[in-house]
Amino acid sequence: MKKNLYPLIFLLALIVLPLLLRQEYYQHLIILFMMWVIIGSAWNLLAGYTGRVSFGHAAFFGSGAYAAGLLTYHYAISPWWGMVTGGLLATAVAFPFGWITFRLRGAYFALATLALNEVLKDAAKIAEPLTNGMVGILIMPTFSSKLPYYYIILFMMVLTILCMRLTVHSKLGYYFISIREDQEAAESMGINTTRYKMISLCIGTFWTGLAGAFYMNYMGFIDPSVVFSLQDLSIAAVLVGIVGGVGTIYGPAVGAFIMIAVQEFFRSGFFGLFKYFADKTGSSAFTTVSEFVKTAHTLGFGLLVIFVILLLPNGIVGDWPKIKRKVFRIKPEN
Amino acid sequence: MKPARKMFVFLTAFALSVCATAVPALSQTIKVGVVLPLTGSEAAFGEIERNSFQMALDEINAKGGVKGRKIELIFEDDTGKPDVGRSAVEKLISQDKVSVLTGGYSSAVSIGVTALAQQKNIPFLVTTGSADEITEKGYSYVFRINPPASEYPEAVTSFLQEVVKPKTAVILYENTSFGQSSSKSFEGNLKNLGVQLLLKEAYNANAVDFKPILTRVKSMNPDLIYMVSYVMDAALLMRQSKELDINPQLFVGGGAGFTLPEFRENAQAAADNVFSATLWSESVPYPGAMDYYKKYNARFKSNTEYHGTEAYACLYVIADALQRARTFSPSDIRDALASTDTKTAFGPVKFVSYGKKTQQNRLPTFMVQWQRGKLETVWPRNVATKGYIFPTTPWRERK
Amino acid sequence: MDVFWQTLVAGILKGGLYALIGIGMTLIMGVMGIINLAQGQLMMVSMYITYVLFSALRIDPYLSLAIAMPALFLLGVLIQKYFLNPLLKVDTILPHNQVLMTVGIGMVLTEVIRFIFKSDYRSVSTTYSNKTFFLGHISFSVALTVAFGIAVMFTLGMFLFLMKTDLGRSIRATAQDKEAATLMGVNTGRITVITFGLGSALAACAGTLLAPVFYIFPDIGGPFTSKAFVITILGGLGSTVGAIFGGLTLGIAESVGSTYLGMDYENIIGMIIFVGVLVFLPSGFKRLTKV
Repeated sequence: MKKNLYPLIFLLALIVLPLLLRQEYYQHLIILFMMWVIIGSAWNLLAGYTGRVSFGHAAFFGSGAYAAGLLTYHYAISPWWGMVTGGLLATAVAFPFGWITFRLRGAYFALATLALNEVLKDAAKIAEPLTNGMVGILIMPTFSSKLPYYYIILFMMVLTILCMRLTVHSKLGYYFISIREDQEAAESMGINTTRYKMISLCIGTFWTGLAGAFYMNYMGFIDPSVVFSLQDLSIAAVLVGIVGGVGTIYGPAVGAFIMIAVQEFFRSGFFGLFKYFADKTGSSAFTTVSEFVKTAHTLGFGLLVIFVILLLPNGIVGDWPKIKRKVFRIKPEN
Repeated sequence: MKPARKMFVFLTAFALSVCATAVPALSQTIKVGVVLPLTGSEAAFGEIERNSFQMALDEINAKGGVKGRKIELIFEDDTGKPDVGRSAVEKLISQDKVSVLTGGYSSAVSIGVTALAQQKNIPFLVTTGSADEITEKGYSYVFRINPPASEYPEAVTSFLQEVVKPKTAVILYENTSFGQSSSKSFEGNLKNLGVQLLLKEAYNANAVDFKPILTRVKSMNPDLIYMVSYVMDAALLMRQSKELDINPQLFVGGGAGFTLPEFRENAQAAADNVFSATLWSESVPYPGAMDYYKKYNARFKSNTEYHGTEAYACLYVIADALQRARTFSPSDIRDALASTDTKTAFGPVKFVSYGKKTQQNRLPTFMVQWQRGKLETVWPRNVATKGYIFPTTPWRERK
Repeated sequence: MDVFWQTLVAGILKGGLYALIGIGMTLIMGVMGIINLAQGQLMMVSMYITYVLFSALRIDPYLSLAIAMPALFLLGVLIQKYFLNPLLKVDTILPHNQVLMTVGIGMVLTEVIRFIFKSDYRSVSTTYSNKTFFLGHISFSVALTVAFGIAVMFTLGMFLFLMKTDLGRSIRATAQDKEAATLMGVNTGRITVITFGLGSALAACAGTLLAPVFYIFPDIGGPFTSKAFVITILGGLGSTVGAIFGGLTLGIAESVGSTYLGMDYENIIGMIIFVGVLVFLPSGFKRLTKV
């Protein structure tokens, strides 16, 4: 019971939060955070539990987004139907891809996913009659308030995490982990490794595609360079996983939170803190520091990633005992 | 633990004091939110636009602001990403409580912001985002100062019709929203003129080598090569055309890339005699255009270009609307913007509806040509600063 | 027919540069078994070094090779020593921590450069940037042809170095079997450091040669990283000769593809060849050339 206590408190907080925190700016940030929890968790199932790192998760995210967008664009079907088709299309892309590439070991699979990402991006650009090319797809958002989106993505996030927990703690999860630890050994024990890798891939990509479809609904606009972005999605998904902790249920959530927070913290100059100092003291030094900080959000995150890999190789959640130990050891000296 | 708690208390108190003091101190100003790419790969233009906004702001406030109140600009960085742009605008609307929004460099970011502005009923004057769709949604709170991508080739079309009368043409365009829509509309124009289109080809921006495609173009020997490219691709295209000795009757650039000083610097001699469509260059006959250009140069010690002028003009349009608005509430400002009829360094501004578009500023386009390293306006005739050089001299006969 | 030959020449000249980037990557990949996803970013750094030397001190890009390459060698050594080797000691769930580290390093390099130089485009316009000569109807860019020559030189040099010198042999031994090499008295830790330095220096060479004909901006690294790993896979891990073949193949394939299929297919072609080779010819051209 104690194990579930913190997640439940956290969930309750998320349910109540938008009612207390009326500012839509924060609601928007939390929506993005929850979307990233889904993407990160989905990536983590494949990478963290099954040991197959994907460097091209944007391929599945984009497929989901386009599934939703194209339904609306061509057939005027509500993009919410795309939520289902988005997940399914992403899985449909993943299936043959996994079939071909799962015989590749280690880093080769990672590179193949990267290639898939690039191929789909260019294909979406070229297939102009179908996808509207780089002009992109624009739809009218369904709700003008943030709250419906907030609770939809919250619901999806809870489902994703539940799905991850059920999967990981079932027989499937043990198969996944045994594949990650030693594929040969798993095979010799009679586990059909290709099959279980496929299952892991399909579950992971389904949720990623769903997140993509949600993005389409929420943002109302997609184009190939946005939803198939290597830097902003594929690599970001990997970094979210690493910072939070691969192979842990709640690691991606921590990673997603840190990524969104760092980005917004830096972008807004620590939420206007520096500007406040500058206005208060009239010193130009604060203005300079503020400019400095504002341009450094990607740098800040990059440094954080290096720092985490060097010192906390299993991520913040994975190395939590280590952090705790270190903190406890330092404490008496204080 | 204790120091940590102290710290926490201090921070909370501090945060509360920020909230408490920030509001009354700034209530005297009229807040205008500006969303621009200040970091990331588009930051170079975001910077020019921010400087221009700042310049216009200082000028307006030095003259006493609007109705005795000063304008305050709140810049937010969109980093070139739509979701971050949206975060930025959410913050502007819900925290800073701005009365007007402007900015918007990339189409993707601008589109994301338009929907939000419409939902929240905050007027949004789009500065640069050029996708046609931006003003095709019937949003009553969205205005746009720059013409949509599809209208850029208009001056070129009349030049072709009256002077060049080409038989064959080739279009090369960068695979972006802007390239795709403006090349498509130029294709339509060519069809109307009865010009045979031999090839229409997209390329990915920042390509290393255009020789393969240019070789194919050379073998077709077209009368006209029309290119929609950004500055470095444009320079590379012209350099490699020269290297391959491709000699059409004329090279025409369909967008901003071909008119910038960097284009000339990088293409060197290969830039000469190249035509380009443009909305604005410092030599266009708008009052204040040259003035703005010189002031910018003097203040920031760097060159500006049409993106900057758009930004500069935008704030003047907003100030003009604020002056006429009944109150400073967003809906009154919207009404004032809708009845805008003013002259700026970027040209006359008036928001009209035509075709599918609503509240769109219509501007004539010009044609410029590089002549001996200088950019001259050559078309339409009544505003030309120099005569055009046509047909283009073959590369090998040039000195 | 001119169209075809011109396309081929363009492909080969571009392929020469690709080969240089590829060799650097393949060395690193062969010896350490990791993909260096910062290879393009290292190249980008060297382009900025060339740019600074050219614009501030008027040093010709070809001369600045002598500065950019050692500088990047040093950078590579530092990266390997302080950021990648320490990772070997820690136990992690994922075997790819070093790869992920290179992603982080690439990000930081890009952002540091952006911090200093902003996102503006820069260029190194030399007198020969635009020069061409003609053989028949086929045009050759002078700068690219020289670059090709230098690339071939460095490749041959690298090949001889790996085959004939003690250090080169140690590198190959480490690439083949790290444990065995350690047992034979090779200091593999030192070898990895040197290899990463060499790989970075080769990327620097490619960057410096590319600078006069192309232009420079902070995000230029990414696309070249992906080209580099495509070349590496095409050639087979750790094979210098393979990397040359890989580079030329990619260059030619891209050129021919852009001429006959369409320029927007350029990247797709590379990626499809890549996946095809991964699946059907898993050890790349190395299997065919045996070197």
